[in-house]
Amino acid sequence: MDWTSFAHDAARGSAANLLIMAAVIIPIMILLEAARDMKLLDRYSKKVAPVMKVFGMSSEAAYPLLVGIFFGIGYGAGVIIEAARSGRLALKDMVLVFSFLSVCHALIEDTALFLALGANPVVIVPGRLVLAVAITYMIGRGKFSALPGRKRMSGGTRHAD
Amino acid sequence: MLTADTFKRGLGKGLSVTWELTKVVVPVYVLVTFLKYTPVLNYIAHFCEPAMRLVGLPGEASIAVVLGLLANLYAAIGAIASLNLSSREITIMAMMLLISHSIPMETAVTQKAGVNGLAMTLLRFVLSVTSGILLNIIL
Repeated sequence: MDWTSFAHDAARGSAANLLIMAAVIIPIMILLEAARDMKLLDRYSKKVAPVMKVFGMSSEAAYPLLVGIFFGIGYGAGVIIEAARSGRLALKDMVLVFSFLSVCHALIEDTALFLALGANPVVIVPGRLVLAVAITYMIGRGKFSALPGRKRMSGGTRHAD
Repeated sequence: MLTADTFKRGLGKGLSVTWELTKVVVPVYVLVTFLKYTPVLNYIAHFCEPAMRLVGLPGEASIAVVLGLLANLYAAIGAIASLNLSSREITIMAMMLLISHSIPMETAVTQKAGVNGLAMTLLRFVLSVTSGILLNIIL
């Protein structure tokens, strides 16, 4: 085995890849912080609120959902739990928000990392969104009896509609 | 309101993500590069080839898939960086791994959120494989 060329490949390759990723991820994180401070999602969540009905979610779910999509589950979970505690989110909303987010979260950050590796964002971003929408729609309509949302939810929230 | 603090926080987060990446990507990259210099990578590639062909990936990509599913995306990224994959292959891999990753950790988190963790994990895995097969046909 050629140890010199192994050491060379390993050092050069990992350094080069990390540099590209840093060059992509640092500006992205600055932009995300800017979006947060400008309260873009606050404003935008009001616009998408009517769409939430299609999925069987209340308009209150729009904000936690958007936060999870753009900032990730870590930060999104805090917002979701806070919303649930304050009573603004029904259990059904929670289940649907999490169903959406489990397929599609941290859309910007994760995509950026794979973009740095050479993936095509035109495929992965719409792809994830379409899948998440389809899943949430089906779970919201009770097509997935394997998932728990339905059992626990069938009574209360249906009446509330 | 945008202030200098916004920029500082963004920079800090960017650097912290870069550091987290470094801690995982470097060891994985070195390990996979090492395997490339030994016959081991070829054995693994050969063994996984039939299954991976379904989603249009070479056998050695199975290392990245396993790392992404069982550990996390950063580990998968380290492996992908080290393997010489085409843009098409990386796109398929990205789609599959972004849908389903860090299974032990995320199943636990989902369970805590009050959603059936096992059902969701299974659903995500099936979706991941399905999207891989579809992308292999479309792209």
